[in-house]
Amino acid sequence: MNNVITNNNLQCAVALAALQNISDPEIGLNIVDLGLIYQIDFDETSQNIFCRMTLTTQFCPMGESITHAAEEILKDCFPDYKIIITLTFDPHWNQERISVEGKQFLNYC
Amino acid sequence: MLIPTGNTDSIKTTSWKVVLPFYGYASIAFFVATILLLFSVSDITAHYFQPHNLALTHIMALGWGTMIILGASHQLVPVLIEGRLYSNKLAFASFILAGSGIPLLTYSFYVFDTGHPALCGGWLVILALISYLLNLAVSMTKSKHENIHAVFVFTAALWLLVTATVGLLLLYNFTYILLPESSLRYLPLHAHMGIVGWFLLMVMGVGSRLIPMFLISEYHNKTQLWWIYGLINGGLLAFVFIFLYANNHSLLIIPLLAVTSAIILFCIFCSSSYRQRIRKKVDEQMKISLLSVLMMLPPVILLAIIILLLVASPKENIRLVTAYGFIIFFGWVTAIILGMTFKTLPFIVWNKVYHQLAGKGKTPNPKDLFSNTVFKWMCIVYVMGIALFTTGIFFKTSIILPLAAALLLVASVLYNWNVIKLLLHKPVAL
Repeated sequence: MNNVITNNNLQCAVALAALQNISDPEIGLNIVDLGLIYQIDFDETSQNIFCRMTLTTQFCPMGESITHAAEEILKDCFPDYKIIITLTFDPHWNQERISVEGKQFLNYC
Repeated sequence: MLIPTGNTDSIKTTSWKVVLPFYGYASIAFFVATILLLFSVSDITAHYFQPHNLALTHIMALGWGTMIILGASHQLVPVLIEGRLYSNKLAFASFILAGSGIPLLTYSFYVFDTGHPALCGGWLVILALISYLLNLAVSMTKSKHENIHAVFVFTAALWLLVTATVGLLLLYNFTYILLPESSLRYLPLHAHMGIVGWFLLMVMGVGSRLIPMFLISEYHNKTQLWWIYGLINGGLLAFVFIFLYANNHSLLIIPLLAVTSAIILFCIFCSSSYRQRIRKKVDEQMKISLLSVLMMLPPVILLAIIILLLVASPKENIRLVTAYGFIIFFGWVTAIILGMTFKTLPFIVWNKVYHQLAGKGKTPNPKDLFSNTVFKWMCIVYVMGIALFTTGIFFKTSIILPLAAALLLVASVLYNWNVIKLLLHKPVAL
């Protein structure tokens, strides 16, 4: 999960750990190690969590479910915060975003 | 481009309400086709231009192959073009039109009544294809992304419309003499436009996107895909020209070589995707889909033999032609569908049932929504049925053919069992 931009606090680590519970149903790998999460930031003043993420392909049939699950799981972990998830396809996801752990899971290494 | 997920329109996929009816319809058509096969075994080994054979071919080509491809493509086109499907209503219209036209057409062939029911069925299928093509064209125009897979799909749909139009013309030609020769003479033209232009081009267009995607492969080669596209369309156009204007069987080698080269290139593409895959474990559904890529080769070999025999003597070898048609529809087309159904349908059903529950607790995996044991048995019985039936056609054995047809019927029952299990799935809390 070293390719996720965060403001490096403990809360970000907790959020990423929570997001690791969501797996891409086709691949079986969690969305953090798959490289779908680009950035997580906590704004303490506005009590917002900004999560910038992508999908392996736009209009992926599971896209809505994955983003919905990310929102729900963060809401569950941080009930006092407002979750703002933003989807981006710039840059597009590619295989290089898969973490070392993810590649090990897929039996790559 | 940033999309707040509060507005999910930009990633909204095609509604399951549009897609699932196509899957349901196709699985029933497959079941009906295998029953018809079992009760028409004696006709199969006779000449292919027989009412029961025509009915069987049209159930397989339209009711089974085309309906499931139309359904799946409504779901997959947004993935291919990276844009939304233009209209769910047009998609639904194409289902209603094709769904009512196909039984009319098939029944008319079965009783060999080429009058109004057949013509009406033919027109309904054509209207369905126009709706589909229109939906596809507007979706592609609205999408900002240009990609080769969508070009394959659109061209394949155009060939299908041309195939259906020629088919309708052949039907009219039974009653009103519209063409210089009998409809039987034009049958190879109608069949190959459908097989090569529709099925082969569509399978390659979608497969070249989905196979690397499912394998998480690092392999990309657009130039190779453009060559495949050019060879298939060039080969098919050459075939149409040679068939209509040059009365020389040896020239048929040209389109055969073009299409064979395209198939070999596609096999190389799939093999490179497979070798450069990140995901090492390949599931059963993917294995049978990859097997179906190799299954493109036996019909090509049979076709080469048929052409060589035609060059040597103008008399057609009926058994070879029957085996060729059987391997295409029950072999290649069916193998792709058997594999891909359980690669796509569980996800569509999962989205329908569990979308709102995502992230709120444990939900079953899409792969758990159908029985993998039944799937494996279906594959075993199917492969045995195909191998036996093909052997039966060549050796004209009275025991083998009904036994093989019964095995294919069992395979279709097992397929339907899993499809029904998926379609009727209710939420399960884990």
